[in-house]
Formats: sequence, structure tokens, C-alpha cells
Amino acid sequence: MPVTLAGFVALVILSLGVGDLWLGPVRIWDGLWRNDELASVVIYKLRLPRMLVACLVGASLSSAGLVMQAYFRNSLASPGLLGVSSGGAAGAVVAIGAGWAMHSLLVVPAMAVVGAFVATGAVLVLARSGASTERLLLAGVALNALLGAVTSYVLSNFTLSYERNAQIIFWLMGGLEDRTWEHVLIASPAVIGAALLWPLGRPMDLLSLGAAEAQSLGVNVRGLRRRMLILATVLTALATAVAGTVGFVGLVVPHLLRLLVGPDHRRLVPLSLVGGAAFVLACDLIGHTAGNLRLGIVTSLIGGPFFLWLLRKKP
Amino acid sequence: MNALTLKNLTVPGRLRDVSLSLGPGRLIGLVGPNGSGKSTLLQAVAGLLPSTGEVLWNGRPLAEIPILDRGRQLAWVPQEVHFEFGFSVRAVVAQGRYAHGDDDVGVEYALARMDLTSLADRPVNRLSGGERHRVLLARALATDAPIQAWDEPLAALDARHALQTIALAHERREAGGTVVLSLHDLRLAHRLDEVVVLHDGTLVAHGAPQAVLTPELLLTVFGVAVRSGPGLILELP
Repeated sequence: MPVTLAGFVALVILSLGVGDLWLGPVRIWDGLWRNDELASVVIYKLRLPRMLVACLVGASLSSAGLVMQAYFRNSLASPGLLGVSSGGAAGAVVAIGAGWAMHSLLVVPAMAVVGAFVATGAVLVLARSGASTERLLLAGVALNALLGAVTSYVLSNFTLSYERNAQIIFWLMGGLEDRTWEHVLIASPAVIGAALLWPLGRPMDLLSLGAAEAQSLGVNVRGLRRRMLILATVLTALATAVAGTVGFVGLVVPHLLRLLVGPDHRRLVPLSLVGGAAFVLACDLIGHTAGNLRLGIVTSLIGGPFFLWLLRKKP
Repeated sequence: MNALTLKNLTVPGRLRDVSLSLGPGRLIGLVGPNGSGKSTLLQAVAGLLPSTGEVLWNGRPLAEIPILDRGRQLAWVPQEVHFEFGFSVRAVVAQGRYAHGDDDVGVEYALARMDLTSLADRPVNRLSGGERHRVLLARALATDAPIQAWDEPLAALDARHALQTIALAHERREAGGTVVLSLHDLRLAHRLDEVVVLHDGTLVAHGAPQAVLTPELLLTVFGVAVRSGPGLILELP
């Protein structure tokens, strides 16, 4: 945990300092206290909101992945592969395409939540808990294709407005460009989600080895599962609503952490929040120092090969 | 008072109208051909399957017992195990103390009883089938629950660990506990206090092994004939 925290703090400082205008730690400090006008504008207008959105998105997706893996008792489950992220994106895209997004700032996140819940419901029907990897992944493939079709339909039928299409493209390839305090606000309920997740670590340990076993040992499995599913879905939807579909975070981060500290969820829950935030900050940094690669592209470039490696390793 | 009472316990398609009373301080074997409903019965008794009819633990209807309390009163050992995540053997056995506030009482004893002390730090997903079963038995032992329901605990074990498990069941019984275990070895069933015979989801017989496991019953239920002769009798040294 101390190592993860130290890495996280270093990434926070870097993400406030790195950009067209480089700021050293001293100027960041002065900027934060508004002693340096230029640094202050750069930090408060641009980098701080982007950094906070990155943290919220990373923590949400990574913890959502961790929860889904315990729920499905399969270490390959994650919001992206199961189609929950696509559900959120499809919801957001429909809201933008139909023009509802203009009415209120809350329409897009609300529709993302609706879309994500529809996808979660479908996954539950297609692959029950303890489902084999094949079944789980096939359900995800089917769902991702279906939701992709919804998105394509919206794109092909609302081609009138260039601006709307640009917005929609944004959701398809997740990114953190031009994120503002409004986006921080939209994603901020993730903090509540994370707090609600905290006490579930221990029962999740038991559930991750079998639902009937967990219940026989005294875990209220039905209640636990309901809470896990709602939290994972809402966290995914919030992340998707502010950053579009950012793949593989929920797969890569819990996996790396399990390799480092073992499968104990009492440690994995807090670590996945911090580690997820750190991972997305790092990917975003890589992306915009390597010539404006979008966040979703960077996470996929890292996560894709990682996923294939996992699939090869799994019996 | 009976430790376990079942009244017309029915699980659609798998178990029909089973009524039974099992006393405390008894060691009970559940026998029957494949698919006769042994696992289903144990799961329904443990409250892990939707069922109709009534199940009472120590005279108290199961539905009235909060789930956390159930974890202290009955320990269930499943027949099949799959461990996706690499918890250590000790961590899995310690899960038996969940309903006791994770106090870790008796975990080391349970590990030692199932010969797992040397494997305690090994990830459970790298164990053999028999070792995994011993982990589950140790976890059940760690719960210290007065009622123990073990689903084919012996099937995956080697001869010595199977005998040790039977000895352990006897100990739990001496301490006033109730142990119900399903098994296929009809010779081992003779070492138990009572035998419950299931066939096609219905209760066929219940009583002392010598009285119940007659050649006629073995022929009609299991389709096997009995012949006594020189055989191999195994016991702990």
C-alpha cells in the first residue's frame, strides 16, 4: 500500500506538471495557492479537473472489475469485456444522438447508468455466476456487438450535426480531453460507491470461492451480490459517462494487484481504488506525452496484449 | 430434542417428501445410487437450495435462523470444489471463522487435524483434488458447528485420510455433535451409527446399518449382490 500510494502521489504531481507548459513542483505549489497567476490558470482550468476525472475513472473501473471478478468467480470478467462499458456508452450515445443531452448535464450520465444496467441484466441472463470463461466471454462478445450496432445506428441516422458526431466519437474512444469541473462533479458519486464497497471486502473473499459455500459460512449471498452488482454497474456507468469507453482498466489493475499482494479482498478493494487511479493517470500521461494518443487507445494498447497473455495462461 | 428434523422436504424434480429426525450425538451415513438425491438432501438441509416442506435445526425452523447464525450451527462440505483465486490454504480454512467475527480460533488445530500444516501457505488452486477436499473439511472443522453435513468427503481421499476423516466424524459425535455424510462405500457405512438410504429422490430406509443394509435392499436399490469372504479390512494403526 505505501508503494502504491507513493506512486500515486508522484503521478498526481506529474499530471499537474506535464503539458505544453511544464510546471515544476514549486510552480505547482504556487499555482495551487494562486501565487503564480499563469500556473494557477493552467492548473485550475485544465489540469486539476482532468487529473481528478482520471482518478475517478480509474478507481471506478478498476474496482468495478475487481467486484465483477469476485461476482462471476472468474478473473477475466471486467466491465469492458462483459459489455457493461458498451452499455453505458450506448446509453450516452443515444442521449446525445436524440438531442436529449442538451436539456441537462445529467441526461448523459443518467442514460449511461440505464445503458449499463441493461447490459448487466443481459450478462446475468447469458452467464450465471461461476460461468465458464468461454460462456462469459461469448456473452460479452454478443453484447458488445449488439450494443455496437445500437451505437452505429445512432451514428448513421443522426449525421446532420458535425458536433454531435464528434461527441459520439468521443464516447466510442474514451479520452480525457477538455474535461471540466462539471465532469468532476458528474463522476464524483464514485467516491460514495467506493466507500460502500469498503466493507464488502471480507464477504467478497468468501463469495469468490463459491456462492453456496459462502452462504453456508454465514454470508448473506443474495444481499451481497445485489450490492456488488449495483455498485459495479454504477461505477462503470459514471466512468463511461465522463470519459467514454476506456477498456481493460478493470482487467489489468486487479490482476497486477493480485500478483503483488494476493487475493485478499480486504486489501484489494482499497488498493484497486488507488491503483486504478494511478494506472489511468499513467496511461493519460503516456498518451499526451506520446503525441496526443487518447486514453482509451493507450489502455487498449496495454490491456489487449495483457489480456491475451492471461488467456494463454489460464487452463 | 433432535438436531435435524425434516418434514416432507421436497426439491422439485430431485427430492420427494423426505421426513426424517436425526438426533444429536449421532453419526449418520447417507447412501444411495448416483442421482438418488444425496447431495440435494444435504444442500436442502443446509438451506442452500429452494425447497418446500420444513427443515428444523435443533427444533428451530431454518427460515427463522439468520444466515450469520447458520454459519455457526451447520457446516456444509460440498462434493466438488473449484478455486479460481489463489488464497492460501490457511486463509480458506480461516473462512470457517467468518460467522465468529474472523477470530481465527481453532484454525491451526483444524489444519493439523487434516494434515495441512505443511501446506498452509500453499495457494489452494495449486492443490490436488484430495488435498482440496481436506482443505474444505478443515474449514468445516474450524467453524466448530455442532451439525456437520459433508457431501462425499471420502470420495477423493486416500485410504489413510479417509479413515482419519471417519475418526474425526466419530470425535465430533463423541463431543455431542451430529455428523451427516454421504458416501458410496457401503462397507464403511457399517462403521456409522445410522444409515439413511435414498433411491430416486425418496427415502427408502433409515436405521442401524446392520438392520438397513440387507442383501434384499442392496439388490433392489443398488442392483448388487452380497457375498462375504476374505477381504481387505483397513484401519488406522
